[in-house]
Amino acid sequence: MTERISPNRLRVLFALFAAATLLLSLRVGYWQTIGRTALLGAATDQLRSELVVEAQRGVIRDRSGAILATTVDLRSLYAIPKRIADHADAAAKLAPILATPAATIRAALDSGAEWLYLKRRLPEPVARAVEALAISGLGFEPEPKRLYPNDTLAAHLLGFVNDDGVGQYGVEGVYDRVLRGVPGSLVVERDPKDRELAVGLRTAVPPKNGADLVLTIDLVVQTAAERELRRAVEREKATSGSIIVLDPRDGAILALASSPTFDPARVVAADPEALRDRAVSWTYEPGSTMKAVTIAAGIDTHVVTPTTTYDDKGYAIIGGRRLNNAQGKVYGTTTVTQILERSANAGAVFVGSKLGQDPLYQYLRAFGFGTATGIDLAAEASGAVRPLAEWYPVDVGTIAFGQGIAVTPLQLAMAYAAIANGGTLYRPYVVAATRDADGEHRTAPAAIRSPISRDTADTLRAMLVSAVDRGISHGASLTGYSVAGKTGTAQIPSDDGRYVDDAYISSFAGFAPASDPRFVVVIVLERPQRKLLGTTTAMDAFHELAIDLLRNARIQPDRP
Amino acid sequence: MRRPFPARPRAGHAVPRRRHAASATWEVRTFVLVSAAICAVFLLVVLYLSQATTVATRGYETQSLERTRDELRRQNALLEVESARLDSPARIEAEAKRLGLVRAAAVPVVQAEPIAAKR
Repeated sequence: MTERISPNRLRVLFALFAAATLLLSLRVGYWQTIGRTALLGAATDQLRSELVVEAQRGVIRDRSGAILATTVDLRSLYAIPKRIADHADAAAKLAPILATPAATIRAALDSGAEWLYLKRRLPEPVARAVEALAISGLGFEPEPKRLYPNDTLAAHLLGFVNDDGVGQYGVEGVYDRVLRGVPGSLVVERDPKDRELAVGLRTAVPPKNGADLVLTIDLVVQTAAERELRRAVEREKATSGSIIVLDPRDGAILALASSPTFDPARVVAADPEALRDRAVSWTYEPGSTMKAVTIAAGIDTHVVTPTTTYDDKGYAIIGGRRLNNAQGKVYGTTTVTQILERSANAGAVFVGSKLGQDPLYQYLRAFGFGTATGIDLAAEASGAVRPLAEWYPVDVGTIAFGQGIAVTPLQLAMAYAAIANGGTLYRPYVVAATRDADGEHRTAPAAIRSPISRDTADTLRAMLVSAVDRGISHGASLTGYSVAGKTGTAQIPSDDGRYVDDAYISSFAGFAPASDPRFVVVIVLERPQRKLLGTTTAMDAFHELAIDLLRNARIQPDRP
Repeated sequence: MRRPFPARPRAGHAVPRRRHAASATWEVRTFVLVSAAICAVFLLVVLYLSQATTVATRGYETQSLERTRDELRRQNALLEVESARLDSPARIEAEAKRLGLVRAAAVPVVQAEPIAAKR
């Protein structure tokens, strides 16, 4: 007998079913209307990924195209400790490869972190060795690293890039915005395995890579300059030193070396004092190298000629102060040319006195002293030429032979370049060109002014040749080439306004071939152990460096 | 003379047979049409899925190739750095010194003008 279903039960069942359907419909309706945005957002978050695509930092090259600095993605090693089966075993295997104690690695793995870097930016051979271990739970992530293939070479000139990718010091600092470029973005949809969906959304704004820089630096000349500076500093046990080599025809820097130096790839370990560029950011009293500037002013204003004579008594009295020649030497009747040959302080005082305070001050400023040269390097010092109102009567004498004035080696090099090139003061520069997507943009040399006439420059050039051929700068002479130059020995002022006892700064400034100058070199050594003889080492460095420069540039001899 | 009545079709025979035949034809046609439509839709779906799968597969292959390209570029950049390091004048100078080589004491320079004059 078939049991009949009660209509009431059917109605109840139907009512329940209808209510459930209604509830579900309402819920679906809710998610389709009010809750749509939240639901869509949650779904999009799971599916879509938005990435910042970093721009590639520009490459820095020397004038012949050799790489000086470039950015490469190195692999950083990370660990997911929970996925590493045996922490002790993994630490023991990694320790010799990473050159890190096993205990340190073990402690990191046992720290409770879910994810951590074990070592960042590994050299490629190390990364490969770790990869070969095939330890589950270890992985690599690419991270950009600024590399300098020539190690410490031109470190001060190049500067460095910090961990945040910001350029500091040198070219990296000054041209950071040019080198860095503009980052792009990438919005894509990804599957659960984090793979980009081929048929999904893809919105990409490509990054604009940083521009490449081509420097005026010549890698061969820079190497030679650093080698000679290292030798000179070691030989003299000098506390610091610098060498500048530049082209007097346009102010292009060919080499710039500073000691002590640092490794731009490992700045953290560097002594902060080593970061200072002694050629650009450091000032000193130039001493006798300044006599050339004083005499240039005297000749340009026609108060003296190369053959003008004075009676050298071994000293000069000015403003009630007695200023002596070095080692108290007495030269008797001396021409202005011989002032440079003998480096007579009394002679420089003679020319300074004939010139007077105001003209001397004006010429110093015209040669660029007391003002930053405007070189495209970070942290340039401007030196110090006291305002004329602050000069004492004796200052015209002391400044005439390079004391009571502070200059940078670069300023002195530019002044000598003006003498070498016929009287034009250029703005020094290190970036010859920038290369970006729009092509190459070359830097135009900038002539600032002409502090002296061409005739004066030619006359002074001949006098400086005489100083090398017949004078105390003879150590800088070269077989087959005419060399113009002047030595300098200066005392070091102390904080109390006096000079430090028995401590000097030795320097040499010169150029060659004097008949058609192709390079100016300034060498400065701080506190050489041979004191007054430190200039001999500076001249030796010039001599060796000049041989390399002349050979490298294939410059024909101008003398038999 | 009476004309004979045309013979009446027997009920349930000739007319139902035709109707049956017509009905059967319609059903067959409908069946065929529906089947064809289903097949067409099925084929379209299969075609779409096949294309979508192909595109997805190609997409993954493209990504894989892009990764390979990026890695090769990275390796190339590393090799360029290594090349620059090996070309460094300081390294070459040090290596030459290690091999016992010394700098030439003097480099004779041949004047171009006298040679040209002799010719």
